[in-house]
Amino acid sequence: MLSYILRRILATLPVMAIVALFVFSLLHLAPGDPAVVIAGDQASPADVERIRQSLGLDRPFLVQFGSWLWGILHFDLGTSIFTSLPVTALIAQRIEPTLSLMVITLLLTIVVAVPLGVVAAWKAGSWIDRTIMAFAVFGFSLPVFVVGYVLAYVFALELEWLPVQGYTPLAQGVWPWLKNLILPSIALGCVYIALIARITRAAMLEVLQQDYVRTARAKGLGQGSILFVHALKNAAVPVVTVIGIGIALLIGGAVVTESVFAIPGLGRLTIDAILRRDYPVIQGIVLLFSFVYVLVNLMIDLVYTLIDPRIRY
Amino acid sequence: MDRRTLLKGLAGAGSLAATGGLSMPALSQGAAARTLRFVPQANLANFDPIWGTQYVVRNAAALVWDTLYGIDDALQPQRQMVESEEVSDDGLVWTFRLRPGLKFHDGEPVLSKDVVASIARWSARDPMGQMIKAIQNELVAVDDRTFRWALKQPYPKMLLALAKNNAPCSFIMPERIAQTDPFKQITEYVGSGPMKFAKSEWVPGAKAVFEKFADYVPRQEKASWLAGGKQMLVDRIEWVVIPDPATAAAALQNGEVDWWENPIPDLVPVLKKNRNISVDIADPLGNIGVFRMNHLHPPFNDVRARRAVLAALNQEDYMRALVGDDESLWKPLPSFFTPGTPLYTEQGGDILKGKRDIAAAKKLLAESGYAGQPITCLVAQDQPITKAQGDVTAELLKSLGMNLDFVATDWGTVGSRRAVKTPPGQGGWHMFHTWHSGADCLNPAAYTGIRANGDKAWWGWPTIPAVEKEVVAWFDAKTLDEEKAAIGRLNAAAFEDVIYAPTGFFLSYTAWRKNVSGIVKGPLPFFWGVSKTA
Repeated sequence: MLSYILRRILATLPVMAIVALFVFSLLHLAPGDPAVVIAGDQASPADVERIRQSLGLDRPFLVQFGSWLWGILHFDLGTSIFTSLPVTALIAQRIEPTLSLMVITLLLTIVVAVPLGVVAAWKAGSWIDRTIMAFAVFGFSLPVFVVGYVLAYVFALELEWLPVQGYTPLAQGVWPWLKNLILPSIALGCVYIALIARITRAAMLEVLQQDYVRTARAKGLGQGSILFVHALKNAAVPVVTVIGIGIALLIGGAVVTESVFAIPGLGRLTIDAILRRDYPVIQGIVLLFSFVYVLVNLMIDLVYTLIDPRIRY
Repeated sequence: MDRRTLLKGLAGAGSLAATGGLSMPALSQGAAARTLRFVPQANLANFDPIWGTQYVVRNAAALVWDTLYGIDDALQPQRQMVESEEVSDDGLVWTFRLRPGLKFHDGEPVLSKDVVASIARWSARDPMGQMIKAIQNELVAVDDRTFRWALKQPYPKMLLALAKNNAPCSFIMPERIAQTDPFKQITEYVGSGPMKFAKSEWVPGAKAVFEKFADYVPRQEKASWLAGGKQMLVDRIEWVVIPDPATAAAALQNGEVDWWENPIPDLVPVLKKNRNISVDIADPLGNIGVFRMNHLHPPFNDVRARRAVLAALNQEDYMRALVGDDESLWKPLPSFFTPGTPLYTEQGGDILKGKRDIAAAKKLLAESGYAGQPITCLVAQDQPITKAQGDVTAELLKSLGMNLDFVATDWGTVGSRRAVKTPPGQGGWHMFHTWHSGADCLNPAAYTGIRANGDKAWWGWPTIPAVEKEVVAWFDAKTLDEEKAAIGRLNAAAFEDVIYAPTGFFLSYTAWRKNVSGIVKGPLPFFWGVSKTA
């Protein structure tokens, strides 16, 4: 197993390099020039060119890529064109809010979606099932920013229970930290709750028709035990897969959520960097996200072995 | 329902709730009254006001770095760090003496050598600074508080150059920092202004913090824009970057922030309804809407094509697209200069007045030889002002029977593509939209858009000798009357040859909580004199 994990992690390196090259090429092929943004409207073309030179943007594409790759090999993601701060420092500043948002959203999703899916499957065809699925369709259809604005209006402006925007680090206390994350997590979680509830229901429906469930019922086991101990464990593989994919998708969802709730996370950093063509920052973030994707996939594979003993690597 | 409508609806509902007598205290009302939380117009992504000239950097820099002179609300340069100045009878030698007791944030005194290094860096980047540098004999420190700037020919606008609020301003930095290559970013933010920059708390894209500088010695005069006594009445200013306007509006209504620099017009009505919020015009100098045509390539290399567009252009269409139905926010502008300022003139601007004559414009366009080739119009969709203008221009060109190639993209792309001189079919362009701050259009000093010196001119590269002649005449003018005469002729020449198309004059709002006082109208947010109660 350990060699499998190591092989998987090592296999990520060429993948990440290819992704980085792809992103690097794409950015340089796309129109837009950070020097123009930096120079501002008052600058002359000569000023813009001098800034390009000072930033090394006039060097050939391959030289720039090689230089960046050389930095990576030395654990150096480069320096932001705009802030002159190390990319690692910028990412470090932003990782806690995004990670917090994702963790809370994921917890919320699992806690709400899995029981909903189980209950819907148990009561398949009933009004309870139809109600849950209707909510799931509704939740899946609403854009994150719409849910975000409605939540902000109700809970921040109307009731004044929670703040509209911002982020408080966990180091300043659990409640201040959580207070800023509740609304964004709900907004971001809606889609995933809907998705995972539907997948859980479908997987459970299939499992509930299996012989061993009928046997368990015949033995006189309680409904809770049948649903959550016997059936859910066997329905968990597709659910875990979707949760894993959901983690990856959360990164994308966080971009919108962080903008709506003004959370200084990686999503906003990404958008800012793309709009300004801050190449080293974009490359650093892409590299990080690629690594996260690979790790999440690895973790899903490992969780499979825990919930289904038949799966071995 | 589109996103914009939804924002208005939700923000409006929030405002109604606030005015409807909900008496629960906002969560943040217990926050220290000595901290002012401000939502700037844009993200403070870098902090070198010489290296990068974005307005937001200039605005933040005005807190941290002081200037030798400052422009006041009468648009006159006033002494700031300078105690006195002398100019020789022939106008060639300027000798300046610094105020005593000036200190940098690191505790070091401000010395002439710091000023000399700072001016040298600034003059490498600023258009007026470059003009002075081109005629400079020497710039030297005479003693710790005296420095001399000797020129080869007189430069009557010297004090304006050192006082102006157009970026880059001549901010004074310690010598070791000012010696940085002007095309490389500084990384140490030490000034002698009224606030210190808390670098350790800076989260680019999210937050910038400024703390009161205890050793700052304000001038005795009343504060007036960048001039006078910069008395700080709060201990700490937090710039909170909120990219989403609806969120910024909600945060202001909720008391999470105290001052929002530029609310979008859509949200102003709901902010006005909130009893805890004041809304007012931010800057009486406003903004001038712009679309520029490329003078290098057909059809706009022919003045008749440019005139055809100008003859058909209805500024009201542009302004209503920009600011909505609020009549107080805009006015027609048959001029290239800022209304209400001493040099404002409408000389030669008749082409923008009266009923629009599409038929005549079409005839003029045909005379120019336009034969239906695609017109590449660059429109930045991520900037509400450029997007609104681009939409109106699209209709305008269609009404003239022009074949539109509407390039909807982002500002970063427009910014780089507009620098391309090749024909539009080979990566170049025919027209793009932007706007100038009214503070930049008072005179030719910092008005890059009005220059018409071909390759050296701003994007579009107009070559209009009559305009350039009047620019020189303005710089040489010794009296206000001479300046007015030169600007009148300049305006007429610029219209005659259609240097660019002004789309109108528009104002912006600013909004703040009513427990904040001392906010003044101006071309940038001035924090001195601003106080806050709990």
